[in-house]
Amino acid sequence: MAVPAALTEDQIYHRCPIEKLDFESTDTLDDLELPVGQERMLRALEFGASMQASGFNLFVLGPAGAGKHELVKRFLSQHAAELPVPADWCHVFNFKLPDKPRAIKVPSGEGRTLKSDMNDLVTELKTAIPATFESEEYQARIQELQEEVAKRQSEGLFEIQEEANRNNIAMLATHAGFTFAPMRNGEVIDPEEYKKFSDDEKELIETKVEELQKKLQQAIQQVPRLRKEVRQRIRELNEEMVQLTLGGPMGELREKWRHVPAVVEHLDAVREDVVEHAEVFQDGESGPPAGLLTRYRVNLLVDNADTRGAPVVYEDLPSHQHLTGQIEHRARQGNLYTDFTLIRPGSLHRANGGYLILDARRILMQPLAWESLKRILFSGEIRIESLERLYGLATTVSQQPEPIPLSVKVVLLGDRMLYYLLSHYDADFLDLFKVEADFEDDLDRDESSYSLYARMLATMARTAGIRPLAKSGVGRLIEHASRLASDQKKLTAHDRVLKDLMSEADHWAGQAGSERIGAEHIQQAIDEREYRASRIRERSLEQIQRGVVMIATAGEQVGQVNGLSVLQLGANRFGQPTRITATARPGKGQVADIEREAKLGGPIHSKAVMILSRFLANRYAPMGQLSLSASLAFEQSYGGVEGDSASVAETCVLLSAITGVPLKQSLAVTGSMNQHGEVQAVGGVNEKIEGFFNVCRQAGDVNGQGALLPASNVEHLMLNEAVRAAVRDGRFSIYPISHIDQAIELMTGLQAGEADSEGVFPEGSFNRLVADRLEAFAKAAEHKDDNGDTDGHGDGDDD
Amino acid sequence: MAIPTATETAMMTELPAGGSGQPAAKGRILVLLDGSRVGYVVLDVAAAIAARTGAELQGVFVEEQNLLRSAGYGFAREVGSVSGVSRPLDVTALEQRMQRLAEQSRRALAGAAGHYGARYQLSIARGSVVEEVLALAEPEDLLVLGRARWSTIPAGWLGSTARALLHRSPGRLLLWSHQQPPSHGRVVVFLNEHEEANQRAIAAAAEAAAYSRQPVTLLLAGEAGVAPDALATLKRNLGVPEPDVRVVPLPSSDPATVARVLRGEKASQLVLSRDCSLFREPGAENLLAALHLPVTITP
Repeated sequence: MAVPAALTEDQIYHRCPIEKLDFESTDTLDDLELPVGQERMLRALEFGASMQASGFNLFVLGPAGAGKHELVKRFLSQHAAELPVPADWCHVFNFKLPDKPRAIKVPSGEGRTLKSDMNDLVTELKTAIPATFESEEYQARIQELQEEVAKRQSEGLFEIQEEANRNNIAMLATHAGFTFAPMRNGEVIDPEEYKKFSDDEKELIETKVEELQKKLQQAIQQVPRLRKEVRQRIRELNEEMVQLTLGGPMGELREKWRHVPAVVEHLDAVREDVVEHAEVFQDGESGPPAGLLTRYRVNLLVDNADTRGAPVVYEDLPSHQHLTGQIEHRARQGNLYTDFTLIRPGSLHRANGGYLILDARRILMQPLAWESLKRILFSGEIRIESLERLYGLATTVSQQPEPIPLSVKVVLLGDRMLYYLLSHYDADFLDLFKVEADFEDDLDRDESSYSLYARMLATMARTAGIRPLAKSGVGRLIEHASRLASDQKKLTAHDRVLKDLMSEADHWAGQAGSERIGAEHIQQAIDEREYRASRIRERSLEQIQRGVVMIATAGEQVGQVNGLSVLQLGANRFGQPTRITATARPGKGQVADIEREAKLGGPIHSKAVMILSRFLANRYAPMGQLSLSASLAFEQSYGGVEGDSASVAETCVLLSAITGVPLKQSLAVTGSMNQHGEVQAVGGVNEKIEGFFNVCRQAGDVNGQGALLPASNVEHLMLNEAVRAAVRDGRFSIYPISHIDQAIELMTGLQAGEADSEGVFPEGSFNRLVADRLEAFAKAAEHKDDNGDTDGHGDGDDD
Repeated sequence: MAIPTATETAMMTELPAGGSGQPAAKGRILVLLDGSRVGYVVLDVAAAIAARTGAELQGVFVEEQNLLRSAGYGFAREVGSVSGVSRPLDVTALEQRMQRLAEQSRRALAGAAGHYGARYQLSIARGSVVEEVLALAEPEDLLVLGRARWSTIPAGWLGSTARALLHRSPGRLLLWSHQQPPSHGRVVVFLNEHEEANQRAIAAAAEAAAYSRQPVTLLLAGEAGVAPDALATLKRNLGVPEPDVRVVPLPSSDPATVARVLRGEKASQLVLSRDCSLFREPGAENLLAALHLPVTITP
């Protein structure tokens, strides 16, 4: 198999053709209203925002820092601007059920007017009604009424008294009532003298007294009925006066609010209530109690007077209370009081008729908020209830405001994992969030995308309030965006990383006194970032340099190869070589993965070793038994190994151990391999190669070293300047390999050799050596069996 | 005509010297006690006046002869003022009741006087209430009483005792109202053509205004004809700063007009002379009874 040529500088770095950028500075570029390369997500947003059917709420999924929030808000604001402004909502007192305040919907912007109208009415009530009661007309009428009633009350008594007087009978008031006795000249006749009266006279008097007593009894028993009648007549008079006083202002208000029947209905209820409480208004000195007047006021819950288009609300703390609203209490002398004026709206109220943006992670972290949101979306109305009432923890009487119909589009922002977990575990989720808007992580990099990407960077710079970027700065940033995307044909869409980098570059440009951010400032920002995060990496390199961690970068060695690994620490990652060693001796076709045995290997790594094992058996002992007992280990690795990117290196080192052919230590290897020996792509190639390069550089001059990587990974290369310079000078070579044989040839300098139709490899080839050696192993194993040895009595390394 | 008292008991308690801190006034404060709720309210007012003026508080409890006689009849019954239930009435029970009320009145008098720091004396007599009070009353005394003794008398009517004493009391009379008058009203004085009567009314108003610190309104009846210099003297005698005195001419003395003007002035007290033209109008007594404010009637 032909050995691939080493990659050129152009192949390992996709330079940005700055000569094709037709601007000098980003301040001449127009802002980009919508982001580049997010067409799928934008179509989903457009669909979700316009779709009226219930349940078509949106979940915008993408990595943190991708700029989801800003983009969604901007998009929805533009979309919402075209939509009608939703209505205002007010809570008013419910005169029939005082614990259940009514909700009134008024056209947008008219809520304030209603509130002001009702406040004016209250002011009017405070002055006009007491004035009515103080008026001479009222006073005269009430006096007439009282006099009439008093007269009627006493009339009976006085008639009886008069009748008694006419019959010379005295009606005397006692401590507890009245009594009758015969009198003469205004004095009660002495009982002794009375005895001298004739029987006829006595009978006449006593009959009369008895008659008078009965009349008096009847008269007294009439009093409660009379009193009731008085109360009724006073009430009627009060009603009449209040109706007359309120007639004017109420009539005007009714006419003004004719277009909102609910308001008219409320006004009628207010008038009824004022009439009912007319007596309370009579106290001219202290006026009616504030509590009574408060009942006539309006709690303007949602005021859309200043809203343009449909509202777009972002709730940064989506707790149950903040979403659904709450009923506040006022402490008064150690007691808590509430009324309908203390009902506070939630973000769902404010977003009603528009859009509510929420962070999925935050709402899930707030106790019971997620359940509340789902319940509200299902029911289509907002019901303000405290959590303690909702879950039966408190049973005190409180306000239960009338639910408000809800028409809102909820837009959840979250990472992909949350979306998939919610889809899997929450049965309601997909019923309510039917629209998935998936954020692209990367954008395509081609000739046409440069100008758009430059405009995107210009927009970001303007939004962040930093210096404009010079053409060279844009070019360098585009190249770095490819590096961040780990792909020559992609550009990262990660908003935060780009913004942070630009802000840092702006800082360095400022330090350098430059008006624009140039390539050097971008580079400085990249270098400074790398330096700040380099402590661990440098400690690692130091360990290698001092020989504590053994890595050879020159010479040849049997059963030893440089594998490449990537370490992720926080937001930074770096590559470093790892020594992989192998041993081989006759056995029962076992390749022992020491990492797995020691429980330091992950499942993917174990899978890769099994593939490797099957590859060996299939290739070198297709018809016979693979008599091999081999072992593989990542030397000085204590933190665990995962992934299959070392399988090419492991194959090479195992074959070296079998054959005793040394491997070049100047080359590091990365790549995954399938059962047919084909090399497959892996991740983190830039970091891996740069990691090995750094080790080589630190060991002395880089001269003749290199790395092998899967050919399918070449387009992911965006290597740094130091590696590029070494490649340019031919001091460092990067070989793209597509088959294990290419790796063997590069690592050993021998021909790999292809099997003929009978499966025999050519003489002198590396593969022939492997096959011969394995055959020798098989014979040795047979001999061992013939001598009656068993594995159980051996050294046990076949297990 | 006074009926000779059968069991007259007089109790007198002198407070320690300097108890009131006031120089002894010429007259006494006479208050009619009958054990009624109205009576106790009036007693409280009288005790406060006595303490303020340094006058002696003279309580009068009269065992009504007519009532005792009526109880002597075998057919006598008492019809309950609220329930209308008729119960037998006999002398023994009535005597016991009167003794109990007299004792309650004595205690109430002692309590009120003690509370305000006034000297007091109680006179218990048997006979006609009006006659007994008139027998005790001197021209210098102030007689304090409610509009009606019993709550059984409907509101807005003057009791027969009050009606009789209104006309016959030799000295000043204060007809108390059971309703609270407005706290920031005016003392209203009804003037007439009788100069001496006016002087007496002004003296009473001056006392009331000084105590309550309220402004004064002088009502001039149309035909009163008070000369400007006489009016100036009266105003001076009030002892109230000029801006706090208002003179309001009355278009007519009929009770309705007077009631309207009193409301307009937010009257908190009314002072008028017994010779006042208002008393010559029909319905004047009813007006006094219906006004919910204290009325001082001067000789």
